[in-house]
Amino acid sequence: MSDAIILSLRGALERKLEADCIVPDRLASLGAKEIAALPVWAGGQPAALGDFFTVRGERSACVRIEGDLADADGIGAGMAGGELVIEGNAGRDLGVQMAGGTIVVQGSAGDNAGGALPGASRGMTGGEILIHGSTGAETGAAMRRGLIVIGGDAGAGAGRAMIAGSLVVFGRAGPGAGRWIKRGTIVALGPIEPPATFRYACTYRPPHLRLTLVYLRGRYGLSVADRYVTGRYHRYSGDLAELGKGEILQWVAA
Amino acid sequence: MKIHGVAIEDTFAEAFAMRVARILITGKTARWAREAALKLTGFATSVIGCKCEAGIERELPEGETPDGRPGVSVLFLTMDAESLGKRLIERLGQTVLTCPTTACFDGLPDAPDRVAVGRALRVFGDGFQASKVIGGKRYWRVPVMEGEFLVAESFGVQKGIGGGNFLVLAEDEDRALAAAEAAVEAMAPLPGVVLPFPGGVVRSGSKVGSKRYKNMIATTNDAFSPSLRAVTTSGLPEGVNSVLELVLDGLDAPAIEAAMRAGIRAACVAGVRAISAGNYGGKLGPHHFHLRRLLGGPPPAPRAPAA
Repeated sequence: MSDAIILSLRGALERKLEADCIVPDRLASLGAKEIAALPVWAGGQPAALGDFFTVRGERSACVRIEGDLADADGIGAGMAGGELVIEGNAGRDLGVQMAGGTIVVQGSAGDNAGGALPGASRGMTGGEILIHGSTGAETGAAMRRGLIVIGGDAGAGAGRAMIAGSLVVFGRAGPGAGRWIKRGTIVALGPIEPPATFRYACTYRPPHLRLTLVYLRGRYGLSVADRYVTGRYHRYSGDLAELGKGEILQWVAA
Repeated sequence: MKIHGVAIEDTFAEAFAMRVARILITGKTARWAREAALKLTGFATSVIGCKCEAGIERELPEGETPDGRPGVSVLFLTMDAESLGKRLIERLGQTVLTCPTTACFDGLPDAPDRVAVGRALRVFGDGFQASKVIGGKRYWRVPVMEGEFLVAESFGVQKGIGGGNFLVLAEDEDRALAAAEAAVEAMAPLPGVVLPFPGGVVRSGSKVGSKRYKNMIATTNDAFSPSLRAVTTSGLPEGVNSVLELVLDGLDAPAIEAAMRAGIRAACVAGVRAISAGNYGGKLGPHHFHLRRLLGGPPPAPRAPAA
């Protein structure tokens, strides 16, 4: 048993890689050779994880991936526990339908991070995803529970049809953020345009948000400026075309 | 045994098992956290008449609270976990939920036994309340006129100790009070204990039951009441004309012992004839704090002052 499993990308990916086998709680019971033999799809062709990564360590729920994985999709899909750190970018479907554990991406992530698989009614149902960079479209789509934090900008449709949970965007939130959400919270520290089916409620200091931001500082060492922790937020209730129990909290510059 | 000329009687304080929760209250300022804590711990001196015992453990700097605001730590005790939940629901609902800017957190997060206080208080939100899981813990957001009240869904409960005590036997009321004040000052900074009585001091120590009234479960401690020396079997040495009691509740025996040790040493000043303790012959509680044994140990290191 090792402190961590380290997967190092051998070279730049030339084809799309489906790497949904990289799930910490599944790797926790595997030896290094078994991990290297896990199946992946590269450009539509079957291959083994070891064809693309060198594997160090074994039998650990802490996984660190080195390299630019912008073309590797499905990492952390369905994970239920453990820790996954990606020291670079991640592709689409990061942590899709995850139920627990934490994912930290030092770079950016593709579309549908923490979202739902095609045809599924729910996205992630637990756990936390921290993406220091930006994300593609529909981050956190249909998420049911959990926390997603985006250090940069969020692509179009962030939090689309959220059922519950929290999505924090430090940068700009793309168009359509929060559309069709039932419950849940979208926090916009940068610009956001609430959908027309949201209604302004008040400007205040949500105590749970302060707690969340202080938690992010302590848990992940995330640099959260005091102005966000102590600041006031516009609260928009919505989506009133759905349950209307969700909210967009937009930081207000003093 | 004597400390600074004050006799330490060969007796013990008899304490009993309780259930304790630690409540962390934060506010926009220390003042508002304190206001809520003072109301929460008001009329909570003894389970005999108040159904609970509570006190402020210490004030918390911003860096020690979950939401980074100034706060206050309260220890809250009852005789069993069920009543602890009931009393907390009543009191938090009336004193912390109502207090501007405050939020309420669990100070014993690792305790396996829980009381679902926030879960009960959430219904004040009349269906508009919402929950949020932050750092693996569930909180309830209760909408109120000011904004929102945030409260932990449940609070940890563990076994605690109630009724740690010692008695200051002094030559007069002034010297008894001065010694008691010194004891309180020495005990207040120590972790894991609270002094639930006014200013930490009790003038009306009691005995179990009554010699005359069947319905009374506690009546005056006549053996330690100087004015009754001539008409009852007195436990007071000659020259003692006033007695004050220090009562301590705490998280565990080591916390009580450390505080008693500090308090007794501080109370051994001029004008105090003896230090004694209240017990019931070992029939009331399983925790016996023998004074002379306690004082054989080293004095406790005080907690560093809050930043």
